[in-house]
Amino acid sequence: MSIGRLWNQLANPKRIPRLFSVVLGLILLVGFLVPMGLNDHQIYPRPAPQEQIDQKNPLAPYDRGGSPLTEPGIVKAQYPQNAEELGMITGYLSPIAIGVKNTTLYYGTSIYSSPGGLIDEILYYTRGFDTILESTILMMAFVLASWVALNFTMRRKEE
Amino acid sequence: MDISTLGGQILGQIPLGDIVLYLTPFNLFMFAGALIFTALIAMSRTETQIEAEFGSLKDNEVKVGLEEFKIRRFLAIVCGLATAGAMITGDLFNFTLFVALIGIVNIGIVSAVKQIDVLNAAFQYGLIAMIASLPLFGGAALVLASTGTLSLLQLSTLASTTPMMYFASLLLLMGIAGETGVAPFYATKAEMFRTPGSPFILIIHLSSLLVIVRAIEILLIINKPF
Repeated sequence: MSIGRLWNQLANPKRIPRLFSVVLGLILLVGFLVPMGLNDHQIYPRPAPQEQIDQKNPLAPYDRGGSPLTEPGIVKAQYPQNAEELGMITGYLSPIAIGVKNTTLYYGTSIYSSPGGLIDEILYYTRGFDTILESTILMMAFVLASWVALNFTMRRKEE
Repeated sequence: MDISTLGGQILGQIPLGDIVLYLTPFNLFMFAGALIFTALIAMSRTETQIEAEFGSLKDNEVKVGLEEFKIRRFLAIVCGLATAGAMITGDLFNFTLFVALIGIVNIGIVSAVKQIDVLNAAFQYGLIAMIASLPLFGGAALVLASTGTLSLLQLSTLASTTPMMYFASLLLLMGIAGETGVAPFYATKAEMFRTPGSPFILIIHLSSLLVIVRAIEILLIINKPF
């Protein structure tokens, strides 16, 4: 096949997503051959497995210690100097959560609510800008979808 | 590679928790360029294309309606701001989010057009942008897994590069190529430009060019080939 014919095939928009997914698939297959080199000094440390369960801790395995607004729990940040109040809300439990915690040993693995505000502290404190951007992406997607629906779907009969 | 070798002297930092934006002359220049262009777009009106009609000597004016004009201007401004943000961000995941935002807004700028060919091309581009979010965020996740950090300031101080980081950079490059629609995947974008509404169409072009330049800087910071 001549190279000119190849370029012409690349100029057809319909073929581009297929080409892209084939190339991506090949690269992902190469990924199986890449040796795993994980960094074990991760930003968010965790206790040893089963350690908190053996202690009969109802918040196991998510207990990070600390009490709200007085003593910080175990939360690490990349730049601790930029997040001085870090860990202050990790120990917070809502009144309902405290009630459930006192009745069962398995509160930590239930789906009521994740005890401890680690996710909140990442989402709204140390990496808060990312959360703003994520919701902006979502908002733009809704703006687009609703605009297209209003102007192309609902008023189709007028044209 | 060192940040100051690539972008010049670090003039300052904007700390937002773990996300620390840093300012170098290189980044600031692109940031200011994107902002100036966005301001120009916000003030300008769209072009009107003149097409020759078949079978007669008349001309056909292709105009942009007011509704269409408003939504396209809004999306173009968002696209310009996202491009400006991607230029000065100092965090890898933050950068990928900006790129994803640019990708989805680019589809929006052309989705208001009532031309079937253009909409078809935009649909294909949307497919690529969706597929590309997998390698884009996957690459950033692999960099975090293999280095334990996402901050570019920290990544530039790392001594060595592991094979997993090379693979992560390859995925990142693939994701950025898909979201911005560069060289081998350009056909969808080229078809998208064949529509009236010039200044808003141009921001699609400008954003992908600036993002590619910035992405190369970031990949050099992560991989340190020299």
